[in-house]
Amino acid sequence: MLNQGKGPLVEASAWLIFLSAIFATYIWRFAAVMISHRIEPNHPIFEWFTCLAYGIIAALVARTLVFPMGILQEIPLWQRLFSMVFAFLGFYLLGKRLWVGILFGEFAFLLLIWFHGFFWEG
Amino acid sequence: MKGFKTNLTSTLFGIRNALGVPALLLFSAMTGFGSLAQEQGLSLWISMLSTVLIWGMPGQVVHVELYGLGAPLIAVALGVAGANARFLPMTLSMMPLLRKAPHHRRWNYLLVHMISINTWAEMMRKGDEIPVERRVAYFLGFSSTCMFAGVLGVIQGYLLLENMPKLVSLCLLFLVPIYFALIMSNTTHPPFLLAFALGCLSGPIFHQWTPEWGLVISGTIAGTIAFLLRNHIPFAKSGKGTFG
Repeated sequence: MLNQGKGPLVEASAWLIFLSAIFATYIWRFAAVMISHRIEPNHPIFEWFTCLAYGIIAALVARTLVFPMGILQEIPLWQRLFSMVFAFLGFYLLGKRLWVGILFGEFAFLLLIWFHGFFWEG
Repeated sequence: MKGFKTNLTSTLFGIRNALGVPALLLFSAMTGFGSLAQEQGLSLWISMLSTVLIWGMPGQVVHVELYGLGAPLIAVALGVAGANARFLPMTLSMMPLLRKAPHHRRWNYLLVHMISINTWAEMMRKGDEIPVERRVAYFLGFSSTCMFAGVLGVIQGYLLLENMPKLVSLCLLFLVPIYFALIMSNTTHPPFLLAFALGCLSGPIFHQWTPEWGLVISGTIAGTIAFLLRNHIPFAKSGKGTFG
């Protein structure tokens, strides 16, 4: 990688870039507080922005599922989606308990990996 | 409610509620980040501080990836800003919960640093049940526990992920989308649910078009459609958000 050389200049630029990343994140939080202090509490903007937050987080979740990073890429897409469906079934059919949903999803995930290895590679 | 008698008990209550699935989630997610940071040649110090000071995983990932590519500072700043832009709507929508809290509102500028999807979802769900003067204590207890678990995750991912059994790493990484999908879909307010569904569908599409700003664009479209349709969704109670 380009930045792995250890000169003082490289070190300093690493910290500068890091600071800019911190700033680029905090500026959104800062702007939100500033805006919220300047509008009345029942303004519809609060509900609109909550909808935006749900939309953006949903997009993020779908992205980590469909285009994951790292070793998750080695698991076929249909297996990831199928396991997710199982997590939803466990969660919504069995009393909305988070750990039940997670166990269902992870169990389906492991089972599919195991079967896949058994039939295709084993 | 009993747990919220003093600030101390509220903080402890927050810590207790975070220990469990939320802390495990942060640990898992940051394990993935730690191993990526290690691959891209970021120092362990910056990787740990990144979790504490940026505290927003998509932006942290963009920072590490662009840094690894040797991208210029301005590109990194813009990329991170795009990936973490969700903090504007998230923070804004959480502010009504703190409105009548007794602290000087200037402290809000510091408090909002602790917002992440996890802590935001917790406050959106439980916030109304917590007495207004105890919300900050609860929030700080909950979020600092999550952050601590996140830092442990970074260390674990940075130093150990390659040596872990592959199935364990896979399960840890897969926990992240499951957890967020479940907690975010579990809302009873129809417009939020519609925004969630539309965001899930449009997210991957816009991601292929622009990886850094795709989240904001698709989420903004999804959220705005849901907001405009809020009074036309069947079974929806008219125009009342969680804050009523």
